[in-house]
Amino acid sequence: MMDELEILKRDWKKNENSFNQITEKEIYGMLHKKSSSIVKWILVISILEILLWVILGVFSVDESYLKTLETYHLKTIMPIISALNYAVILFFIYLFYKNYKAINTTDTVKQLMQSILRTRKTVQQYVWYNIIMSFLAVLLIFICQVKYDPTLNSIIERNSQNVTTNTLYVALLFIYIIVGLVIVGLIWLFYRLIYGILLKRLNQNYKELERLDL
Amino acid sequence: MSEALEEQFVSLLQKNQNIIHKICRLYTTDSDAHKDLFQEITIQLWKAYPNFRGDSKFTTWAYRVGLNTAITLYRKKKKTIHTIEFDSTFHKVKQEDYNYEEEEQLKLLYSGIKELNDIEKALVFLYLEDKDYSEISETLGITEVNARVKMNRLKGKLKKILNP
Repeated sequence: MMDELEILKRDWKKNENSFNQITEKEIYGMLHKKSSSIVKWILVISILEILLWVILGVFSVDESYLKTLETYHLKTIMPIISALNYAVILFFIYLFYKNYKAINTTDTVKQLMQSILRTRKTVQQYVWYNIIMSFLAVLLIFICQVKYDPTLNSIIERNSQNVTTNTLYVALLFIYIIVGLVIVGLIWLFYRLIYGILLKRLNQNYKELERLDL
Repeated sequence: MSEALEEQFVSLLQKNQNIIHKICRLYTTDSDAHKDLFQEITIQLWKAYPNFRGDSKFTTWAYRVGLNTAITLYRKKKKTIHTIEFDSTFHKVKQEDYNYEEEEQLKLLYSGIKELNDIEKALVFLYLEDKDYSEISETLGITEVNARVKMNRLKGKLKKILNP
């Protein structure tokens, strides 16, 4: 009996010339159309993410912020932290650019997927870095607030007859942690939504390839 | 990019466009999506063209960029209604060699292929295009042995559709 798949192959070849041919003029038109590939989307979203954190950093510096730094005894250490922070951001941007440039459609399917996932990972690490830094900053501010803030200290003093100071501190810390977790949770959800949709198919295909190569 | 380069590219692509049509046929279900994917592959080919050195054949290179686009880069614009029915041009068999049994088998096979995942479709495509295992492994980035194992399994799966 003839191999069934040979029938398929024969039919496949027979149909080779059944397509409506696209003219050179139409191809010229296509060359100037915009790509809608996921790489483009990832690039746009990544740049927005990086920009968002940079802008947040720049805009949070104002006079009242500087004054607060002074009362909290952070005026000397904050600029050092900021400088370090910007160095790290630049390093991330460099990594991101390098990864993005490495995306090459003439690689093997697997390599191409790996480069795309790597770009994504870099930006993800950048965002986590920012979240962790924000968390540490909030913690530092919390400690300094408890230590040096005049308003807070007067509140604590006024209430010291009713409750112990320790209870107040614990309650404050608790509120900070809850707020922090809610923010991180929201960011995480946002990511799941955007990239979940964008990368679902790529992730599935990547897993399939990995399974093949086990 | 220079006009001469553009001209050269357009003429090469025009002559070899069937490769891309075939990829679109496997990865899309309607003519709108077919056009859409065709356009995206064209854009990706053009973007990569300056790096095409001509040390491999244009067609080999086009297979690679085309499959990469279909499997990895392409984003469907909108959800298209999934239909089992394959592109009708597929089943046009010339009157003189019309064979009812064969026609039925082909229908079954093509709808079976439609149900495969993106990677399996690529394997079937390269098989139908008579590519050897070394080229299949180089295109997908898996080892030759694994490409062969998977391909044999796929063949078995397709044959089972015909002889359940």
